[in-house]
Amino acid sequence: MGGALSAPGAPGSQPGPRPWALAGGTPADRPPWRHQGTLVLGLFAGAFILLATFPLLHLLLALFVEGAEGLGLLFRARPWLLLGRSVTIAGATTVLALAIGVPLGLALGRFAIPGRRILLAVHLFGFFLPPFLPALGWFHLFGRGGYLGNAATSDVLFSPLGVVLVQGLCLAPAVTALVAVALGNLDPALEEAALLVAQPGRVARRISLPLIRPAVTAGGLVVFTLALSELGVPMFLRVDVFVAAVFARLGGIDFAPGEAVALCLPLLPLLAVILLVDRRLGGARVFAVVGPRTGPRPALVLGGWGRLAVPAVFGVVVFSAIPLVVLAARAAGPPAQIATLLRWAGGAPGNSLLSAAAAATFALAFGVVVGHAAARGQRVAWTVDAVAFLGFILPAAVLGVGLLGAYNRAATQPIYGTLAIVVLAFVTRYTVVALRIAATTFGQVPRDLERAAEIAGASYGRRLLAIAARLDARGLAAAWMATFVFGLRDLETAVLIYPPGSETLTVRIFTLEANGPPAIVAGLSVVHVLLTAAPFAAAAILLAVRRRR
Amino acid sequence: MDNTRTGTKRRPPRVRPPIFAVGALAMAVVLGGCRGCQRRSDEVVVYTSVDQVFSEPILRAFEKQSGITVRAVFDTEETKSTGVLNRLVAEGDRPSADVFWSGDPVRPFVLQKRGLLAPYLSPQARALPAGLRAADGTWTGFAARARVLLVNRERLGERPTPKSILDLVSSDWKGEATMANPLFGTTTMHVAALSSTWGEERAQKFLADFRANGGRLASSNGEVKRLVVSGEVTFGLTDTDDANEALKEDAPVQMVYPDQEGFGALVMPTAVVLIAGGPHPDNGKKVIDHLLSAETERRMAESAAHMPLRPGVPVPAGVRSVAEIKAMEVEYARVAEEMVRMQPWLKEWVGL
Repeated sequence: MGGALSAPGAPGSQPGPRPWALAGGTPADRPPWRHQGTLVLGLFAGAFILLATFPLLHLLLALFVEGAEGLGLLFRARPWLLLGRSVTIAGATTVLALAIGVPLGLALGRFAIPGRRILLAVHLFGFFLPPFLPALGWFHLFGRGGYLGNAATSDVLFSPLGVVLVQGLCLAPAVTALVAVALGNLDPALEEAALLVAQPGRVARRISLPLIRPAVTAGGLVVFTLALSELGVPMFLRVDVFVAAVFARLGGIDFAPGEAVALCLPLLPLLAVILLVDRRLGGARVFAVVGPRTGPRPALVLGGWGRLAVPAVFGVVVFSAIPLVVLAARAAGPPAQIATLLRWAGGAPGNSLLSAAAAATFALAFGVVVGHAAARGQRVAWTVDAVAFLGFILPAAVLGVGLLGAYNRAATQPIYGTLAIVVLAFVTRYTVVALRIAATTFGQVPRDLERAAEIAGASYGRRLLAIAARLDARGLAAAWMATFVFGLRDLETAVLIYPPGSETLTVRIFTLEANGPPAIVAGLSVVHVLLTAAPFAAAAILLAVRRRR
Repeated sequence: MDNTRTGTKRRPPRVRPPIFAVGALAMAVVLGGCRGCQRRSDEVVVYTSVDQVFSEPILRAFEKQSGITVRAVFDTEETKSTGVLNRLVAEGDRPSADVFWSGDPVRPFVLQKRGLLAPYLSPQARALPAGLRAADGTWTGFAARARVLLVNRERLGERPTPKSILDLVSSDWKGEATMANPLFGTTTMHVAALSSTWGEERAQKFLADFRANGGRLASSNGEVKRLVVSGEVTFGLTDTDDANEALKEDAPVQMVYPDQEGFGALVMPTAVVLIAGGPHPDNGKKVIDHLLSAETERRMAESAAHMPLRPGVPVPAGVRSVAEIKAMEVEYARVAEEMVRMQPWLKEWVGL
């Protein structure tokens, strides 16, 4: 996910003269479709805001009904202690992820490391998986009964430090990816000029890093946000954190969603701070500052640094892949076990694929319209982005209860009783991913092309889809894939609301994990890995075929 | 298109965003396969807090036998018994479920109190002992578990085996015992049963002493098993099915039925109820009949070490029959009332 969108007047937003003014027309001459864009944007923005805030309004109502009883929770010490612990864990996770992701992004994004594309793919893949799967792999390795486990390793794993290590390794690829992409967009002349007089390390430190600072900030925020809302890893590693307390509160015998909402109130100032940092430090500059894409460029030669950097990069990438190898080893069994595995998997893989694909499509539709407006500096996009960001960082358990209360009505049974409720939840949570990538993508399309088309009589729809979207279809495909992956790896949202008989694979693994046969649970985890890898493999093959043509 | 500004005829650029095509396909599948948009006569919706690994094969057997598709919602281990219960409460008078198969006999009372249950006296229930069904037919109990102590033999060494739940608060075992969060699962029922037997004051003191004694609060009974098996603690309070799993894994543990010379071990039948206003009531009744059958009790005994309550069902090796253990004397309806009443102080004790 890139940085925040540009408000009017922010860098990257250039209002410029109206196209009809360029054409020398008067207001009466303006084309009849001049309001189309505003209308479509209003429609999409309104629909998304309504969609995202409907469950939240329902929750606020619950809080209002439960009144002081819910708010009374905030006068106890434990919620604040848990919040403090969660923020500390998320902060430490962010530091670790930055420590891994920035140098790795630099090395793999810009320098001539042998097999860097494969290394980058292997490293990034870890981020596409629900973090509790690698946690399960580490457990099979370092738990007391694990391949390399003993009391000491188990104590470390089942501790806040263990949560930080597992999450940090899982989430670091987000930083690596943002850094590598930002580096890919740098003007090569800057680095090449510096390399004439300085060593690669100094060039990276003094030229590249300052230029990609917004991307690093955005990466840090993504990691912090995801770590703060992560449920599966802390629950599995038995570490009490804030979102687990909210989730647990919803599972108490006296169902009181208002109390869960009250518990979330302390998060609001925190979320406001995250949003502020996001806009101030990351802002529209994440990609825009480094300029438009300039095509492939030769990787820089590491020189003497290579002796240190290459083994380090290989080491980190191999280390982050270890839990997946362990899971595969744990799942290994006689061929007959495959049938058992498929029986336990049931329809869950299909449900995962379907809900993630549908959600990614809806999110991309919103992302294309709103992201285009954001790239063109329209203020309404700022509001939609803020709502989408709120949906992303709000504890999924709270969102789930809001959806449950809001959509369990006779009229909305076609939504509540089907996978559509999961799709809706994913759209609410992950549209921000599609929106920001789309905004960044459209930011790279020269505006003059659209202006010229408008003068030539192209409607808003054609300018958007036939010019802007078409010129960087790959960027939009990346937006779709990223949103799809977020849906595929989701556990927290789906676990509360999945329709009967239609659980996603992550939910199935999680519900079976407690007492299910370990080999089957590991096997289902491997199925999830393959499920995630398949679309990427298909996309890679498609790209390779197109390149050959 | 006639481009009037240039005066040339051009084919309009073809808009072909493949992403939208994929999406449209996904939408069509989601909405086309809109299960739940309409009531189908060949399906039934079951919510269950019985572990998925045990309950799903039984529900599948029902599907095979009846031709009726079962759509199930399972609980996560951490919110055991209360996750789906709360979903049922939240769904209220617009239930998606036809049947709730509870891992304990007291949570159905929560639903009963809210008027969410429909009476159904299954013909299969006649063979069960009288105390295992509500007079008004709103719930029926079968295949039971007991609360047991799971002890790690290696960590225990030569010391005497803990034999009472009071050992959880004994200074002899300071920092060596664990039990699950009493806000969830069968631990809630256990604490409520203690409260209704001992009185609230003693039950509260028991929990306070557990904490003061360095007892570890696990997130679930499954976690209690993991903690004991891995030797992180010497013993823990859990359910027979979790303990049995540990034994099946050949872990160095033993299962102890507590307080056999005192007030007895808590026995908890699973319970099944018909949800009022569920979308498929007739199929719901068929599932209930299936669950209450001797065959299901046999399967639950074999796969999940549940004690059969129906006379004549064989008890597999390693599983004790109810007659063999001294059970705690409790009235489930009263325990259910106590469970709701004690929530405020229980939450305070947990820290929420």
